[in-house]
Amino acid sequence: MRATEQLQRELAALTATVEHPNGTCMVTASPKGEIKALHLHPSLLKQGAQAVGQVVTETVQLATNSAVQISFNKMALALGDGMAIDVESIAGDSPFRSTWNPVVAPKPPAEQAPPERRQRAPRVEDTDDDAFFENPSWLR
Amino acid sequence: MDDDVQRAARKVRDVEQAVSEHVTRSGPITGRASSPDGAVTVVATPGGPPQQIAVSPAALRMGPHGLAAEIMRIADKAQRNANTRLHQTLDRVVDPRELTALGVERGPDEDELGWQR
Repeated sequence: MRATEQLQRELAALTATVEHPNGTCMVTASPKGEIKALHLHPSLLKQGAQAVGQVVTETVQLATNSAVQISFNKMALALGDGMAIDVESIAGDSPFRSTWNPVVAPKPPAEQAPPERRQRAPRVEDTDDDAFFENPSWLR
Repeated sequence: MDDDVQRAARKVRDVEQAVSEHVTRSGPITGRASSPDGAVTVVATPGGPPQQIAVSPAALRMGPHGLAAEIMRIADKAQRNANTRLHQTLDRVVDPRELTALGVERGPDEDELGWQR
């Protein structure tokens, strides 16, 4: 009985933190879909209002799925696989079973953030053209 | 133990059927909330993640921290609205105490920003 109470306490406080595949948003959510923390990368805001809405929605859904999956895992660990299967038969499949991957969106995620601009490596000076001119087929 | 599980599963199936018939008649149960200036609008489901989060172009001026805080505030409100609407919709089908025990808490009835039917 004490183990059950302990499990209930753990499940009530459980959250999962997930970053969107494009790296612009991070969400901590409970299994009930409550957003406990939300971080937006400044580059996400540059992609426009629609992208912000879409990316945040996707990330909250991924974090919630992940939290639900962790709940199932904890329950299976505490009560045994048999009980976890019984619960799934009542409550429905865990995200691991019902989605091909609980931490990846089922539909294509929003557009990737543009890569950071990096300075080009300085070009190596190569004045030795002899090897090129030695092969006449390259000169045609 | 197996009998208990089967009994519980049967009860869940019965309630599920009653709920789904009810929801077919009333439409999907969601809650909606918006910022006063329309910067953020969230459509939430009871006991689940938000279904849709919409941000206005003007909201981008709030910056990443301000906008994140506003999204959290509105999402919380939308989910409370969705939970309250679930209670209101199902109070003839499911014992409200059971919904509360499942973590779907009923909020205040005065919702100003309206329900989405």
